[in-house]
Order: sequence, then structure tokens, then C-alpha cells
Amino acid sequence: MMSYIVMGCHPGYVILLDEEGRFYKAANLQYEVGQTVYDPILMKELPAKPKKSFNFWLKSGFAAAAACFLMFFGFSYYQNYLVAYSSIYLSINPEVQMDLNRQGNVIALTGTNEDGQALLEGYDGKGKDKVTVTDELIDRAIDMGFLSEGGQISFSIDAPDDVLFQEYGTELRTNVNKHLENRMTVVVEIVDHRSGQSDTTQIEVTPPASGTNGSAGDTDYGPNNDGVTDYNDTDYGPNNDGVTDYNDTDYGPNNDGVTDYNDTDYGSNSDGVTDYNNTDYGPNNDGVTDYSESEDDDSDSDDDNDDDNDD
Amino acid sequence: MSDGYKIIQQVYQAKKDVDASDQLILNYMPFIKSETAKFLKRAPEKNDDELSIAMIAFHEAIINYSFTRGAFLKYAAMTIKSRLMDYYFKERRHSHVISLDLPIGKEEDTTLLDTLDDGKNHSHELILRDATRTEIEELTSQMREFGVSLEDVAENCPKQQRTLIACKQVLQYAKENPQLLDEFLQTKRLPMAQLTAGSQVDRKTIERHRKYIVALLLIHTNGYEIIRGHLKQIMKGVTA
Repeated sequence: MMSYIVMGCHPGYVILLDEEGRFYKAANLQYEVGQTVYDPILMKELPAKPKKSFNFWLKSGFAAAAACFLMFFGFSYYQNYLVAYSSIYLSINPEVQMDLNRQGNVIALTGTNEDGQALLEGYDGKGKDKVTVTDELIDRAIDMGFLSEGGQISFSIDAPDDVLFQEYGTELRTNVNKHLENRMTVVVEIVDHRSGQSDTTQIEVTPPASGTNGSAGDTDYGPNNDGVTDYNDTDYGPNNDGVTDYNDTDYGPNNDGVTDYNDTDYGSNSDGVTDYNNTDYGPNNDGVTDYSESEDDDSDSDDDNDDDNDD
Repeated sequence: MSDGYKIIQQVYQAKKDVDASDQLILNYMPFIKSETAKFLKRAPEKNDDELSIAMIAFHEAIINYSFTRGAFLKYAAMTIKSRLMDYYFKERRHSHVISLDLPIGKEEDTTLLDTLDDGKNHSHELILRDATRTEIEELTSQMREFGVSLEDVAENCPKQQRTLIACKQVLQYAKENPQLLDEFLQTKRLPMAQLTAGSQVDRKTIERHRKYIVALLLIHTNGYEIIRGHLKQIMKGVTA
């Protein structure tokens, strides 16, 4: 048992010296100086706190600042890069869901049907831009035979706001256009995933017509034939596109500057299609009196229209 | 000046001055007794260990108090209560042991202790105690010449074993070089440069525990045979 010598006495405490040379303050249990004691009640002392130096505060300040910095930027990184902010559902026949972060980079790719899973097999698009992934997926789809001439690519965009939807839609359309230029003709459809509404236009990605540009070149025949016959561009019947081209006339103030000389059924300019049915009379009467189609008629097209209305 | 402010001033004075500390404890004895009575649920007697514990707890409160801790007396009361609780739990572990102070039989004057032969020669012990006291008084007065008091040493004593060993290394080196001890006694200053170089102990450690090292060196200069005899384990763990 450790013994202590009482070195000094005070009313409140005594000073003890132990065998190892340590000095203590202890409760004065009626001790006297010079006495040897064995089981004193030592005073508890707070562990000496080293004064916190300037360095300490500098370091802790730095650590706190770093923590704030990390928290702030970590959170913003998380928000910007790791959380799915929008999605694009690509469907050719394979259907693929692309989850995008705020930066428009792909964070997850899921095949939503069997072909979609087949398309994604062995492909890693994580972290790439949506445009790159779209291009690569389209290439894969072509290689795997999912997409061919005349096919359709549909992008259903699930974006939290309209601005982003517009932005992504334009970007994807432009990109696919460019990517498949001179390669094949496909129809690109942009759909708003939320409202389910298809975007107003369906774009045909076509190789650029060689030679002439403009409407005069839009012909279904001869060397300028663009391969697409606009049979459906009619103002009548079930294929009526809702836009009546009243103004498509070669005469008067509404003359569009393009004289359709070639649109005749006769002579050397005969287009090979005899519009037998295009008659204003009898059972085949289409309800539109084509006054303007008479090449002898000099009268103003406005008048013709008036007559139409009268009918 | 409010009482609360006055006592804080007294406490801060007592932190620096041993006499002021003693005086403050004596002045607040009624308070200390009343706090002890709250714990004991009876008035404490002079010989109660609890009262002694309450007194050293009050002293501890003086040492550790800072005005950021609130009112001093509340802090002191809390410290006293904590120390008495510590003591109570420590004692409870020995509750199965019979007290030697218990009276035996019907006669209350005789206690169990009185019936035991402790094998010690009481007269010899008393002589030894007197001799020790003389030595301590001599040491204390010599320490005073060096500007060091026992209270200073108690407060300056290393708390960590590592530091204690470092201080003992300094002592060991000084003992091996008696001329250093002579120089120390003459100049009444620690030969800091030689001690640092010779003992391989960091200068800052020596400076921080200067008062303790002064006391150690003085004990090992001349005389003080009894104290030195008591410090039998002092060189434990020191590699010369």
C-alpha cells in the first residue's frame, strides 16, 4: 500500500508526498505534519487544460471552413450530379429509360422492354452526355437491326419544367438529324412524357437533296424526286391536314412565284398522272371548283375564291 | 459592490494566495457545515470525515472556479455534494467491513481498535514523526529561499507519468553531476542549460515544472534522510 508523508497542513487540506515523489492535496482527516498516512482522500484536480493556442484556433477554423465548404459543395454536387432530375424514354422498338442529372448527363440506363435490355447489354453510358448516349444507342440499334430506313425514333421527355423539355427536345432533334444525315431517313418524334402530348412536328431526317433547294425542287418526279411522295398533302377527305392552301395560286397578288407549269395532264409536260377524278362536276365533284386551274382563265384568283365561297 | 461580486474577487485572490485561501475557508465554515449537514441529514461533528471532505471540496472549488461557471457558492455547493457522493459510494464498497471505531460491549469507551495490538512501537513512531516534522520544516524554509512553497509544488507536480519520469531523469543527471547541485545551491537557480543538455529532457518540460524540480533537487542535496528514505521508489522507471 502506498504511504504518504504529510508535508503541510492547512485548515481545508493537507499536502502529501507519496513514495514516487508526487505531491498531492488531500482532505485533512485530522492529520499532523510529519505523519505517515495510508488511505488519504486525494483532491480531484481538473486535468490541466493546455491553453488553446492561436494555431489551434487557426486549425479548427480551417477545419470548420473546410467542413462547411464540403457540406455546401458536397450537397450541390449531390444535387447536380447524383440525383435524377429528368428522364428521357427512348423508344425505337427497344425502349430505354435514361435518367439524367441536372447537368444532362446520364446517371442510369434501364431497358424497359426486352429489346431495350438487349440493346443495353454490354453498354455503359453512365456519366456520358445524353446526346452521346443517344447517338451511341442509335448506332447500336442500327447495328443490331432495330432501326432501319423509314424507322421511327421517339423521345418521351420527362422534365420538371417546360423550358428544359423544350431545350432537350430541340437538342435531341438537332442531334439525331445531324447524326443520321446522309445515312437514312427516320421519323423523330418528341413527346412530353408528363402531358403525353406529342410535339407538334414529326421530323423527317433526310439526306439533303442534292442540287436545288427550296420549294421548286420539291417534286415527286424526275431527277429532283426526293423519294417522298406527298400524296397525303391534301386539303380534302380523311387525309385533310386541316390547312387549306387557298393561297397556293400562280396568279394575282397571292401568286407564290412558282408557276406549276408542270402540273398538267397534257402535252410534253404531262406529269403522267391523269387527274380524272379532279372534276368539278358529276358524282366525282370534289366540291372545289378549280377555276384557277384553267390555263385560259385570266380572271383574278380572288374572284375565284369568292365564287368558291358562293358555292 | 454586490456580495456576489465581492466573493468572486475573494475567490480570485484565494487562487493566488494560500493565506487568503485558508482565510476564505475559515470564513465560510458555516456554509461548508450546512452543506455537509444537508448530505448527512444531521449536524456534522468536528471529527467527521465528511466535514474534512467538504472542506477540501470547497478548496477545490476555489481552485477550479471561473466566473463563467456562474455564482461561486452554487458552484462550491455542487462540488461539495459531488465529493461527498464520491466518498459515499467509495465507502459503500467497504460496508461489510466492521469499523474499528465501533464500541465493543456495553462500555462505550472502549473500541475494537483499542483491543488490537498494531505491533508498532508508539513512542518510536512519535519520535519519528517529530523528526520528520523537523526535516519538513527545514525543507520548507529552504524552499522558501528558492521562492518555492509546498503549495506551489503540489500544484506544479506532474500529473502524467511520462512527465514525472522526465523530471526524474533531470534529478538523476543532477545526482550524477554533484557540481551541478553545488551550483544550484549557490546561485539558487536551476542550471537549465546543463540539465537540458545532460538529461535529454525538453527545456520546456523543465521550465514548466521548475518548482517541482527545485523541490526534488533540494530533497536530494543534503540531510532530509527521512524524506529521501520515504521516496524509495522515486527512481523507478528511470533509465540512467
